[in-house]
Amino acid sequence: MLQSKSFLKRTKKGNAIKVVQEHYLRDDIWCSVECCKLCVQTGPVLSTSAMLTAQIPRPHYIVPDTNVFMNQIDIIEHPALHDVIIMQTVYEEIRHLSLPIYNRLRALINDQKKRFYVFSNEHHRETYIQRLKDESPNDRNDRAIRSAVKWYSTHLKKITNKENHIEVVLLTDDVGNRTKAQEEGLSAFSVREYVEGMTDTPELVDILGNSSNVEGDKKVPYEEHLTSSQITNGIKNGTLHQGTLNISMHNYLEAYTQIMILGRPCLNRAIQGDVVAVQLLPKSEWLRTPTAVVVEEDLKEDGEPKEQNDELENEVIESSQPTGKIVGIIKRNWRPYCGFISKKSVKSSATSTFSENVLVVPMDRRIPYIYIRTRQAQNLMGQRILVSIDAWPKNSTYPQGHYVRALGAAGDKSTETEVLLLEHDVPFQEFASQVLNGLPVEGEAWRVTEEHLSGRADLRHLNICSIDPPGCTDIDDALHVRPLPNGNYEVGVHIADVTHFVKPFTALDEEAANRGTTVYLVNKRIDMLPELLGSNLCSLRCNVDRLAFSCIWELTSDAEIVNVNFTKSVISSKASLTYEEAQILIDDTRKQDDLTKGIRILNQLAKKLHKKRIDRGAITLASPEVRFQLDFDSQDPVDVEMKELRETNALVEEFMLLANISVAEKIYSKFPASSLLRRHPPPTSTKLEELSNAIKPFNFSIEFETSRALAESLDRAVLPDDPYFNKLLRILTTRCMMQAVYFCSGTLQFQDFRHYGLAAGIYTHFTSPIRRYSDVIVHRLLHAAINPDKNYGQELVDINKMQKLSDVLNHRHRMAQLASRSSVELHTNIFFKGKIEHNEGYVTRVLKNGFIVLVPKYLFL
Amino acid sequence: MFVRTQRDNFESKVVTPGQVITADTQYMRGHGTYLNEEESSHISSVAGVVERVNKLITVRPLHTRYTGNIGDLVIGRITEVTNKRWKVDINSRQDAVLLLSAINLPGGVQRRKTEADELQMRKFFAEGDLLAAEFQGSFNDGSTSLHTRNLKYGKLRNGSLIVVPPALVQRCKTHFHTLSCGVDVTLGLNGYIWVSKHSSKNLDELDPEAIYSNDNEPVDRSTRETIARVCNCINALSRHFMCITDTIIAYAYEASLKYPVKDLLKLEAMEFVTTEVRHKLSVVRSIY
Amino acid sequence: MCIITVLLILISLMDGRRANELRKIKCKPSVLSQADGSAYIEQGNTKCLAAVYGPRETRQKAQLIHNKANINVEISLAPFSMPQERKKRSKSDRRLLEIASAVKQTFEPIIMTNLFARSQIDIYLQILQFDGGTIQICINAATLALIDAGIPMQEYVCACSAGCHENHTLLDLNNAEEMADTPELTVALLPMSGKLTLLQMDSRLHVDKLEPVMNLAALGCKEIYQTLDETVREYVKDLFQKSSPY
Repeated sequence: MLQSKSFLKRTKKGNAIKVVQEHYLRDDIWCSVECCKLCVQTGPVLSTSAMLTAQIPRPHYIVPDTNVFMNQIDIIEHPALHDVIIMQTVYEEIRHLSLPIYNRLRALINDQKKRFYVFSNEHHRETYIQRLKDESPNDRNDRAIRSAVKWYSTHLKKITNKENHIEVVLLTDDVGNRTKAQEEGLSAFSVREYVEGMTDTPELVDILGNSSNVEGDKKVPYEEHLTSSQITNGIKNGTLHQGTLNISMHNYLEAYTQIMILGRPCLNRAIQGDVVAVQLLPKSEWLRTPTAVVVEEDLKEDGEPKEQNDELENEVIESSQPTGKIVGIIKRNWRPYCGFISKKSVKSSATSTFSENVLVVPMDRRIPYIYIRTRQAQNLMGQRILVSIDAWPKNSTYPQGHYVRALGAAGDKSTETEVLLLEHDVPFQEFASQVLNGLPVEGEAWRVTEEHLSGRADLRHLNICSIDPPGCTDIDDALHVRPLPNGNYEVGVHIADVTHFVKPFTALDEEAANRGTTVYLVNKRIDMLPELLGSNLCSLRCNVDRLAFSCIWELTSDAEIVNVNFTKSVISSKASLTYEEAQILIDDTRKQDDLTKGIRILNQLAKKLHKKRIDRGAITLASPEVRFQLDFDSQDPVDVEMKELRETNALVEEFMLLANISVAEKIYSKFPASSLLRRHPPPTSTKLEELSNAIKPFNFSIEFETSRALAESLDRAVLPDDPYFNKLLRILTTRCMMQAVYFCSGTLQFQDFRHYGLAAGIYTHFTSPIRRYSDVIVHRLLHAAINPDKNYGQELVDINKMQKLSDVLNHRHRMAQLASRSSVELHTNIFFKGKIEHNEGYVTRVLKNGFIVLVPKYLFL
Repeated sequence: MFVRTQRDNFESKVVTPGQVITADTQYMRGHGTYLNEEESSHISSVAGVVERVNKLITVRPLHTRYTGNIGDLVIGRITEVTNKRWKVDINSRQDAVLLLSAINLPGGVQRRKTEADELQMRKFFAEGDLLAAEFQGSFNDGSTSLHTRNLKYGKLRNGSLIVVPPALVQRCKTHFHTLSCGVDVTLGLNGYIWVSKHSSKNLDELDPEAIYSNDNEPVDRSTRETIARVCNCINALSRHFMCITDTIIAYAYEASLKYPVKDLLKLEAMEFVTTEVRHKLSVVRSIY
Repeated sequence: MCIITVLLILISLMDGRRANELRKIKCKPSVLSQADGSAYIEQGNTKCLAAVYGPRETRQKAQLIHNKANINVEISLAPFSMPQERKKRSKSDRRLLEIASAVKQTFEPIIMTNLFARSQIDIYLQILQFDGGTIQICINAATLALIDAGIPMQEYVCACSAGCHENHTLLDLNNAEEMADTPELTVALLPMSGKLTLLQMDSRLHVDKLEPVMNLAALGCKEIYQTLDETVREYVKDLFQKSSPY
């Protein structure tokens, strides 16, 4: 049966167009109930052992409506809920409303234990309904859901007998919908009613979103937000400005889009990361706060926040910087936040089980406190907990949220690690079984066999070795060199062939793309790929045959490239060296074996390459890292040391840079529109000018028109009596730099491809596919580029997808950096706990009520 | 006469392009069929009904252009005047050729054509003129020729042309009919039908000069209406894909008298007329 | 723009078809009285009218081929055919010309042109409503119109498109599905002998996917053939009955 569906749609240009689509109604959509004999079906999802609660003692399936998913997805995700029927109407509404929730829902559907079934009610002949005249789309959808529930309940009556009868239960928080459903003889409950009936899992009640629970303190009456049409019009005619809110790390009441926003009323319930509409204030009200650290909010005895606004008013100075106020929020960017319950806000006694409102202090200083309602306030004190924001009504100082789960005791290292992973949005769960199924079936016993040799160069005879930090198990890269008869050298960089194992469109690939990168914490590593691949099958360990992707140059003795060749290969590394061991080999003149000689040649070539790079204008920046010596048992840091840099570090780095540049050129020549490249934009002038002004007293200046000028001016800035000065300057310069980012070559002009820091015209990441997903993509691109017969899918030439992917990778990359930095910070804090030490330091920034010090020994701010 | 042997199972069967008619190789390939690559079976190349004459198998599609047979009466329209010949559209795959030497020249049947005739060919037939002619034959390259060397043939006047699918016009003893209602109907086998005012003149009395005249005789109102009615009847028959013969036209004419002329263009009137005709035909059939 | 979501049960959320299901086909031969052959066909919301004239005298002598018929194909898109935009397209629109030449090439070896030396066969196609699958509907409509015109051809030519979206092969893409960046492969084949006369794709498709997609399209062609053949048979039977003189 055919229904025509037509609707109006707005195009990007703003024209209204009519879209006519077919809509087929079918008879062959099955109910997916295990025991159903009426429907012709394959692989039923819903089990006969469905939900049972104290309230509804018969087995039943749950049908939640859209808003239940939107507001209570945390409940739905709880393992206590299973056997859920998702109506297609709901499914599509969610897809349009919120992508993150949609993705979570999809994960639930794929989880076989949860037994979620999507019923195509819109295409079922008996459940499809047409929108009535004067009926709003929402009402129509509600009716569609009810009609499908009705179908299910009659259908279930047909297929089950009295003893094993199964019911359907509609979950909706919409009172009107509920009454209508009950009138039609369906059982319908609000989520609260239902969850309170689940006596086995009382914690679910806390997880309930409390959007309905509005009891504001009316102290900061916020302005009403504008409607979305007002905002769109405002932005169109220029009275409003759109931007992503960025709250200052030092002062939670100071925020920027392009415009500065000060104070709580002006922030108007916006939260870090929200896309907001900003209205510019009249010039007379442009303000500026002195740079002060306003970190912790003091709480009064009664648990209410102290009024700070008056103080703030006094402190502000008039300024020429544009200031604005937020008048509307275009897109919320709420996520679950980690935090702890503020002790002062808990009023109940230790034995109380009544629920009460408490304040949660988020770990992220930029996030306001969150009200939650919980029965377990006493238990949760001193614990880190995860909370979600549900709403922020205009008469409440702080947003309303709900408890999601407890993470563990505060101060506990594993809890804190989890907190920082959550806060940085790092996916750190174990790999799902679906993902692990994508691994080679042989497991550890996987070996390179004859069949792998086809299409690969056999380089097992070469003296290949790898040089890595000590304790490194994921060896991405290995090197070899051999003199050629014409006096030139053949140098090869061999990179683990991850793409042999990670094929596109597999669960493994999707997981890796989602993780984006391996995250290194002080005490832990969150792998991008399962351990079997990362540390074994892909890792180029010594004395085993491994698959590799090789980049082989012919270099003159002056390190000029004569030609370059890329090939998939099979290699067998002869030695896995640490930087230190390699350094010893180079220095130890007694050693004269081929391997050692090779390393020495490589070292010579690397030095020449390095010099060339510096001549081109590459900047040597300093971002020294610290390493903790961890106590073996407790994993507590016992000592801090700077990571030492040896010649051999530079050796490996030079060849990796060379490989990356050569690969970038190659893939760009074949995929000019869809190569994944990495660029580093030149620094913005303001920050460096500040720094330049700061060092004026020393008669130095910083020029930054080109990277070369910057490098030279940095070289000049040496204080003979303070050897650390130059290093400090370089550290500070590094902090002024822009972030290097991935991008898709089709989205920018060629001249914007430049990598400022490396002074390279084109650059990409190729050398670490085990720990970076970008490299995996580049491997695929390169393989397609060198092998015209190679078949590749759409994913390598789709500019939009590539750009989206690079945005995700940039985000993951940034978050991984921040996470590892936080991890260092955490361990530094643990290290200094109860320690007093005297050390020299440099003051790098003076604020009104504090200053920032850099301690060279610990690199500690 | 052709002899029909015993019926084969494929006869009168509806076939569509690509369908195997028979795998028996004793048959000969006729129009609308082809042999497959191994030459092991006859395959239809059109949609139609299988016909067999002795060993020859043909498939006749019902909707198709006219394919000429020698001796057919056709009605055509001049499309082009060229060197010593006219091109005539006869609803066939190509325009037919009417040679200057294949027409009756004014001034005596046996007159030789002269250069003056070649120069004034448009005096005989100009572009757009309609004529009745006989199909003379076809040549190797697929072109066909006509002749009008009979006083029956020649330029058509005083009437109206209707086009019907050629398959509907049956081959008869004569294609010039005078209906009882007082109009002449010329049924061209190529599907062009000429309905005109009845001319009572004997062929012999015809003025040789007048056969190429372009002037219509005066036609009175009632004759015009009758012509129009006959045309509309033929049109209705063709719409319902019914055979067209003089008797059938006469039946249709009778049935149509219930309606005013212009109402015959309406679908329900057509429907009525054709059902009446069908009914009558079945009555007639039952009598014989 | 649109994301095609194919659920576990393989029903496309776009319009409720299964991945291997054709859109609804409606067809009717002989809809125009003036043309020698004509047909109207609907595949879902794509609607096409075909008119065939000929074989007839070649109008332009330059196009005359002395040993076979010349086939001339013209395609036009009705200005109201796209619900999105009302726009008049000229006949020399590059895309339409391309499709026209594809249709011409498809039929050239199939029509027995050698029987009609020095003649011309005109195929006029008009898309009345557009919802994806232009080439396939043009070919199917032309086949039907040619059969109606009684022009001998080896057998039916049926065309069908299929695509591949995130590892799912999809049959008979509609416009929204085409727009969702789906590689679309159009196959025209002779359903009886299984010979291929057209294989067209404008985007990239992984070669591993080619075979399943092609097979699916071929299945689609055969299904279309069934529908067309049924219609033609019924039509011929009907005509035969009507025209039998007594």
